[in-house]
Amino acid sequence: MSPTADPAQKTIDRMNRYVEKYREKSGTSAHPDASVTEGVVLGLAAHVEQLGRPLCPCNFYPDKQAELDESRRWVCACDEMKQFKYCHCLLFVTPEGLPITEYLPEDHEGRQVYGLVRDPTPDKGREARHQVEASFPV
Amino acid sequence: MAAEFTDGNFQTEVLDSDVPVLVDFWAPWCGPCRMLAPTVDAIAEEYAGRVKVGKVNTDENPQVSTQHGIQSIPTLMVFKGGRVVDRLVGALPKEKITEKLNAQL
Repeated sequence: MSPTADPAQKTIDRMNRYVEKYREKSGTSAHPDASVTEGVVLGLAAHVEQLGRPLCPCNFYPDKQAELDESRRWVCACDEMKQFKYCHCLLFVTPEGLPITEYLPEDHEGRQVYGLVRDPTPDKGREARHQVEASFPV
Repeated sequence: MAAEFTDGNFQTEVLDSDVPVLVDFWAPWCGPCRMLAPTVDAIAEEYAGRVKVGKVNTDENPQVSTQHGIQSIPTLMVFKGGRVVDRLVGALPKEKITEKLNAQL
């Protein structure tokens, strides 16, 4: 399959259901520009068909299979989303369409690009926050 | 419109260019890349003759994408005299990009 072959509708539907469910779980919203979500979901669905996992389509991987063999860090929901509630792909954002950057380290590119974006639903998401706290004990 | 840069023409179009070059590393299914595309096209028009502006589809051009250490996309790079002089990541507003370009003119 070529890198840009369109995935099957049933795979797209499956990914849409997954994304909607994870938005509810994490207390995040869809981007106001529907084409952003549409593009990312197509990319995730294509990766499911090509690789068996929803690898984030907003990164470049010299070798996608090698990336998956090495770790699951960019499988949606990625480690950054689970730890920091930050989605640079703009799939899980605030109602205004901004990625949450509140929990990112200050030198992270997300803070540099978007500034400080507060989490409107701090009681939800960040299921892997303990991994960050273990790395940066308070 | 922004030009198309590839593994095949990157050396001549970007590295050997006499003027600064803004390169947008993107992929077809990347949401922020879609948001950034009109901005890059507008910059291409506004800076025509002063800055060369083009795009690299990372899916189709893995060689230059690997060589330049691309990870998160979109990534914008400014080249001058064959060297990377600035690097920006994400769907940035036009002003932030032109600020970096103006510094190279």
